[in-house]
Amino acid sequence: MNMIETKNLTKSYGDFTAVSNLNLHVPKGCVYGFVGPNGAGKSTTMKMFLGLTQPSGGAFVIDRMSYPHSRLRILREIGSMIESPAFYGNLTGEENLDIIRGILGLSKSDVDDALDLVGLTPFRKRLARKYSLGMKQRLGLAGALIGRPPILILDEPTNGLDPVGIHEIRTLIRSLPDRYDCTVLVSSHLLSEIELMADQIGVLNHGHLLFEGTLEELRAKAAFEGHPDDNLEEMFLSLIEEDNLKRGEVR
Amino acid sequence: MKIALECKKIRRTGLVPAFLAGGAAAAALPIINTAVRTDTFAAMAGTPASILLDANSQMLAMLNLLLLTAGACILYHIEYADHALLKMQSLPARESGLFFGKLCLLIPLFLIVAVLETTALYYCGMRYLDGDAALFAELLKSLGFSFLLTLPAAALSLMIASVCRNMWNSLGICILCIFMATMLPTDNFIASLFPYALPFRVLPGVSADHVLRYCTAALCETGAVCMAEIIYLKIRRLSV
Repeated sequence: MNMIETKNLTKSYGDFTAVSNLNLHVPKGCVYGFVGPNGAGKSTTMKMFLGLTQPSGGAFVIDRMSYPHSRLRILREIGSMIESPAFYGNLTGEENLDIIRGILGLSKSDVDDALDLVGLTPFRKRLARKYSLGMKQRLGLAGALIGRPPILILDEPTNGLDPVGIHEIRTLIRSLPDRYDCTVLVSSHLLSEIELMADQIGVLNHGHLLFEGTLEELRAKAAFEGHPDDNLEEMFLSLIEEDNLKRGEVR
Repeated sequence: MKIALECKKIRRTGLVPAFLAGGAAAAALPIINTAVRTDTFAAMAGTPASILLDANSQMLAMLNLLLLTAGACILYHIEYADHALLKMQSLPARESGLFFGKLCLLIPLFLIVAVLETTALYYCGMRYLDGDAALFAELLKSLGFSFLLTLPAAALSLMIASVCRNMWNSLGICILCIFMATMLPTDNFIASLFPYALPFRVLPGVSADHVLRYCTAALCETGAVCMAEIIYLKIRRLSV
């Protein structure tokens, strides 16, 4: 069963198409890695799932609920962190999570649980605006994880973290489906990073889905099409370059 | 519930101390004014309430509007400053609820200021102008009237603050509106219905038939601003 499914999802800004006829299938209980270079349309797609951006065409279904009909019900199912972490700078980390807890109608212990998951418990009383970039990122992640929602949408969650932090968050994301029976859609512009987290991969370039499947299937496809398949980064760059060339030819 | 959340959000913003300090400063004005001009006021014809309101209410209305504007701007500044609004928009709550929560917080804060001012006027009446029991009733009526007539300005200030991502833009627009209101002709009923001009109406100076009209207009304007905000939020959400 697919937790998130899109059908010809499109988003255009004037004559620029950010996402074009996207057909995405995110299976339940997996970590789905959404990879693409900057400006590929990853964040735009995720924003559409959250109702922060309106689709220009196509449709999507999340947990068998369609948008926009069930927008609020969909949001109740999703924990998200989009682009930079969003928070109240005048409140402490704990108070920020308490606001989210209040809106979601969760219990007080959920705040402690979320702080604990991302390792922010020792800094819970510090003002969010005084957090380092990595701590702000962790707070954003805690805001997404609070209440353990069945679907997580995380846009480049390891941005601004140090190598130890990246490893911790990556391990956490990897463990989430087994621990909490949730589905994770996580984006990155690094295939090598997604490789360490995701079960399924979607490669996006200029709003077009170039590939969807497992990493093994991607490797097989790359080998079949004559792309380098031993180094992930090279394989990714080669795929993108070929697509860019094709688009250049079309133009 | 929404008010409780908004109360949590305003921690460390200085909003409550600003209203308390503003209210105390506004309350001090009539006391100083009456203390230094006691003889002039005592020689005037009319009830103590009408003398005090005529002498102070314009200045108090201006201060109240400035406080409301600053309050509205702070309330939305915290949403925009660190993109908190983006998080709120991705949670299962209507954005209009955010506006009404803030309005429900701003109105009691203004009420505290208005009560402080009325208490100061009552003190002046009793202390300097030999006021009687009727003074309290008149001031209470005036408090209710000015409170009602300030609601459209409170709602509109909040709406302007919700539209502008930059706090200085909303502050500038609101202050322009306040000064524009002071320049409108006072004898024109239609012009006096401008939301920022309504708080400058003083109960003793308004004829009995106009009192009801002003109160009705204030309620209608508040409702219209709230409706406009709901429509604006819908359009904003659908146009991104």
